[in-house]
Amino acid sequence: MVPDHVAAPSRRWSSYAQGLLWGAIGLAALLMLANGVRNSSEFSRLEPWILLLNLVGVIGLTVLIGRKLWQLVHDYRAHVPGSRLTARTVTTFGVLVVAPLVIVYLFSLDFLNRGIDSWFRIEVKQGLNDALLLSRAAIDVRMREYGFRTERFAASLGFVPADQLVNRLDSERRATGATEMVLFDGAQRVLALSSENAADVVPSSPPAELLRQLSEHRPYMAIEPEAGGQYVIRVAAPVSDLTGSGDRRYVLALYEVPPQLAQLSESVQQTYSQYGELAVLREPLKNSFRLTLTLVLLLAMLAAIYGAIYSAQQLARPVHDLIEGTRAVGKGDFGTRLPLPSRDELGFLVHSFNDMTKRLRRAHAEARRSRETVEQERERLAIILARLSTGVLAVDRRLTVHIANEAAGLIMGADLRGATGRALPDLARDSDRFGQFVAALAVRFAAGREEWREQIDLDSPGGHRALMCACTPLPGEGGDRGYVIVFDDITALLQAQRDAAWGEVARRLAHEIKNPLTPIQLSAERLRRRLLAGMPPEDAGILQRSTDTIVQQVETMKQMVNAFSEYARAPDMKLTGFSLNELVGEVAELYRSQAGRTEIGLDLGQGLDRIAADRGRIRQILNNLLVNALEALEGCVQEVRKVDISTRLEDAGTGEPQAVILVCDNGPGFPRELLGRVFDPYVTSKPKGTGLGLAIVKKIVEEHGGHIDADNRPEGGARVRVTLPIREAVRAAGARDRGPAMKKESLG
Amino acid sequence: MLGALNASLKAPLRSLCAVLLLLTPCAVTADALDGVLQVRSAYVALEQSVFQLHARVDYPMTPAISAALADGVVVSFDVEVRIQRTRRLWFDATIADLTLHRELAYHTVSDRYVVHDPRSGDQQTFATLPAALMYLGTIDNWPVLVEPVLQPDDHYTIGVRAGIRRGHLPSSLRALLFWTNDWHRVSDWFTWSLTT
Repeated sequence: MVPDHVAAPSRRWSSYAQGLLWGAIGLAALLMLANGVRNSSEFSRLEPWILLLNLVGVIGLTVLIGRKLWQLVHDYRAHVPGSRLTARTVTTFGVLVVAPLVIVYLFSLDFLNRGIDSWFRIEVKQGLNDALLLSRAAIDVRMREYGFRTERFAASLGFVPADQLVNRLDSERRATGATEMVLFDGAQRVLALSSENAADVVPSSPPAELLRQLSEHRPYMAIEPEAGGQYVIRVAAPVSDLTGSGDRRYVLALYEVPPQLAQLSESVQQTYSQYGELAVLREPLKNSFRLTLTLVLLLAMLAAIYGAIYSAQQLARPVHDLIEGTRAVGKGDFGTRLPLPSRDELGFLVHSFNDMTKRLRRAHAEARRSRETVEQERERLAIILARLSTGVLAVDRRLTVHIANEAAGLIMGADLRGATGRALPDLARDSDRFGQFVAALAVRFAAGREEWREQIDLDSPGGHRALMCACTPLPGEGGDRGYVIVFDDITALLQAQRDAAWGEVARRLAHEIKNPLTPIQLSAERLRRRLLAGMPPEDAGILQRSTDTIVQQVETMKQMVNAFSEYARAPDMKLTGFSLNELVGEVAELYRSQAGRTEIGLDLGQGLDRIAADRGRIRQILNNLLVNALEALEGCVQEVRKVDISTRLEDAGTGEPQAVILVCDNGPGFPRELLGRVFDPYVTSKPKGTGLGLAIVKKIVEEHGGHIDADNRPEGGARVRVTLPIREAVRAAGARDRGPAMKKESLG
Repeated sequence: MLGALNASLKAPLRSLCAVLLLLTPCAVTADALDGVLQVRSAYVALEQSVFQLHARVDYPMTPAISAALADGVVVSFDVEVRIQRTRRLWFDATIADLTLHRELAYHTVSDRYVVHDPRSGDQQTFATLPAALMYLGTIDNWPVLVEPVLQPDDHYTIGVRAGIRRGHLPSSLRALLFWTNDWHRVSDWFTWSLTT
């Protein structure tokens, strides 16, 4: 597991790009501000851009913070690890940062308002007004003085002849310090001129209001400011018309205000004007400062909040990684590697976590290898157990199955697949044989026997079974201690041993008995031949009956010895291909004539036209089975005595076809106590039987690689089922399989 | 270009600033320039291959202006003339764009209204405000274009407009008025076609 922020370098680059962008915007704003401060005219040009950049910054920060907060709320609600720590840290940082900022902002706002208001206190305004009035008063005094003198001079001009006007003007100008004196007539033509500057031949043009005022015969006085801070007092007065000509004349005089007074007055005027302009700016100034302060506050606050969120996330990220890593380890992912955030305590913690996961990974790998080894061993053991012909059961004290191999189920005639975890008594409910076995185990366990080796005989409808069973306790303590029970079905082995023993008995019997029989018979016949003629009739009768008895019994014994000889003879088969159904038909037809009231029915299946077997031996099988059935029906009370012979072709389960011969009768059936031993020699329920018929049949069937079963039909009567391979190779393999058993028989 | 963009940015920025200022206790100033501000008439006369502008402008004369002037505030009066060559498939080309800038102030010491031309340094004084405004509204013989610039087959339009604003502040202080639009008015364009 690798954390998201490690697996997403593009996101990291995006963060760097955003940081660069905002840094560039801030740097641009600062550069513009610095440039504007250096050059005030630039400030006017750049201020919109500065404001725009700041607004972009505010909006951008707001958007970023909004996204961060939304993500934080989302994570908090989704209980994302670390989100609560982040939320707490952001809240703490936010309160710690925003509260002082707001306090400073409110204080600065109040200070700003009071500071700017203090610039425009009424005392300052009053002082300026007073200074202004003083300046005006000082200049007015001069203006009125010049006006009075000009009026008086104009009145005196009424007696001055025209040719002396210029001189009079000039002397008056010099006397009063005027810069220019001009005499106009009613048509505003210059009649005389005296100027301080001799080069001036054209007087300054009078303003329109002057002319208007003079036309009303009123003197004109005005102070006119000039460029450069100079003041000119312009005075005009009508000249008295003493001649009665009706011509109107006017004297216009220009006086300069003394430089010092003009300078002071201009200074007052400039100050008053600047104050007026600043007063106009009072509210805009305050608003501008408010705006600037608000923007600065917003930027600082938003930057602080963003910084708080970023710092909290950076702080909580290792915690988040640790929680995610712990969860991953809890789910079994030991490959978790967390990035080292720093070299502080959290870094040490992350380093320790990585070290722990590394050790866990190693231990996990070691455990996995061990588990795999155990699994391999278990699989190997399972294969071995599955291939064993010996049944193996591992159970605990409560007889709960832990291991049961396939052979155990086959031997017990029960399906033990999926038996693990189930109790043996439950599994044995459907199998009589298995039930007997479990009962035998329970008896031994109840007796406290933990290690034993015994033969257990089981009787079931399928026949008698002998099991060689061994029990060994498994290592363990208390109730966990279990047992392994190993058992072999030695029924076939015992049978083979019996067969071998009987074969040896038969061979010896045939050998030891057959030899003296012929001399006995010949001796009896010679006695009869020699003595019979010379003996009295009474004795002759006795001799005749005695020798007949001897000969008859010897003959009987010969037949018995021949039967034993047949049973004990070495297998020497002559395999030919023939039709089984045809042979069955011949034998049945032969016995129908001797069967009397007994019906012999045939049910011949298809596909049995050619089997590879010894035709004579197969005929002997059929003979013996039919004779056995017919003899069993003798003396029976049924109205219909019936022997049914049926053949069919079956699949042996291995893909190989096999011939099945089924001989059934409706007689009394096999006695239950003999069911497991009906194929043993000298086992018979008939008074005259040798007890070798079925034993020979079994021997021939096994020599052919076949199998024979005998049981009773549910509706009554015996049933013998013979299966024979129809191909020679299969027969040979089946016969070889029984080879070791025969060897065991000879060895035993 | 920066200047043009600067001008185009002002309006939206004003709006943004106004929104931001809602957060602060700001005083709302009423428009002090209520009244007629228009170019009543204008024409150009060709004198010795020079087109000279003659125009008559009506400036508002309100108590607010008088009071502001009395408080020492300088009011700027601008007359802008723009001559453009009309183009069919594209924007009109500006041939000339001139501004006549003058400032009106009340000189408290002399009790006179002073009209000052910052470019030439000339100034005129008037006893009354109407006389000063009459003077400012009368533009005669203002050379705006020389005849050789014009092409015989082209079509030209001349536009004249007047503006008034509270001015003559230091640039740094004037910038403070950036987001207040009172005391700054511009008349509609008075346009006519120029036939050569």
